[in-house]
Amino acid sequence: MFARTISEEVLSAVKRNTIVLGVVLLILAIFAWAGWANFEYRKQAAERLLASAAKGELVVNASSGESKFESPLTGKPAPAFALEDLSGKKVSLASYKGKAVLINFWATWCAPCKIETPWLVELRNQYAAQGFEILGVSADDIDRDDAQKLSDEKKEIARSAQQLHIPYPVLIDGASLDKDYGGLDELPMSFYVERNGTVVAVQMGITSKNDMEANIKKTLGN
Amino acid sequence: MRGRWRLKLRMRSGRRIALSVAFGTAALLAAGQADSVNRSLLKGAAVEYLYPEQVTVAAGKPSDVSLHFRIAQGLHINSHTPKDDFLIPTTFSIPDGAGVRLESAAYPQGKDFTLPAEPGNKLSVYTDEFVIQARIVAPAGNHLVEAKLHFQACDKNICLPPKTIPVAIDVIGK
Repeated sequence: MFARTISEEVLSAVKRNTIVLGVVLLILAIFAWAGWANFEYRKQAAERLLASAAKGELVVNASSGESKFESPLTGKPAPAFALEDLSGKKVSLASYKGKAVLINFWATWCAPCKIETPWLVELRNQYAAQGFEILGVSADDIDRDDAQKLSDEKKEIARSAQQLHIPYPVLIDGASLDKDYGGLDELPMSFYVERNGTVVAVQMGITSKNDMEANIKKTLGN
Repeated sequence: MRGRWRLKLRMRSGRRIALSVAFGTAALLAAGQADSVNRSLLKGAAVEYLYPEQVTVAAGKPSDVSLHFRIAQGLHINSHTPKDDFLIPTTFSIPDGAGVRLESAAYPQGKDFTLPAEPGNKLSVYTDEFVIQARIVAPAGNHLVEAKLHFQACDKNICLPPKTIPVAIDVIGK
């Protein structure tokens, strides 16, 4: 009688343990699936990141709590480019080798860009003698497949540059540099390049003339 | 007796493992979801069409429809009549061949907005929610219209490129 009871208990326990084992295996399978899905998600995210090159982002400054833009281009060589100016002449960044350069991305429809442009003009005139130049790169959409539209768009950019009394070269088709410069969805965007071609500061959005001047001084090594 | 105790112990440890695995899985899945929510917030649309999704109008007669939109927090878009000619106005349109004709659109008045970097200049903008009164003419029948809203959004320091979003409305002409 006692042996039978023990035998039944063992059988019952084995049965329960089998159920527990089954549940554990099922959960492990879910775990494995979650791991695989997570791996696939991260793989796709990494591919997207690579596709868009190094993208800058807004991060919260721990000390002040304010948002601060950080670009992965800071400390790296400025990506090379050659874009047309308003007269159709190709202008390359390489042709400014040995100069401190501010690459300022702007657009005709961008109100903050129009506020900072007079500051840029003043600063350019102030520091030009020290070997400083600005390249104003328009991020306005241009339509290369339609000659009439392209002509109208160029005229609009030229009109805007004239109204702002821009004395430095204005280049078009800045959107083509979107990948190399880590995303140009937000304007204005400025890259400060020192004489050896390294980006020493990146500024997203309008800040102040003083901030811009401090960054220009960095490019000049002052 | 001792055998039964051991069995109970084994069963308990089995349940504990199962529970730990289940909690671990749930935590991982929850973390993955939180990540995707943050991404969707960052990549969120500047302007969103709210309603109506469906309207019923008198067939062949001009009818007024109120279209409701919401602008993402912290952003503004130019009104239909911005104060400077270089700014891109907000415009609503219905493409030709959509089956429904846009006779006119009445836009709300813009609110004054000043950029901190230029306190002396006032912009005319929309913020939060706004309503466009569209006067449409629809023939009898059911028309799935994909209208468009064109706008250009900024916050106080930066501007985003001009954008056109679809405005899907099911128009029933009776």
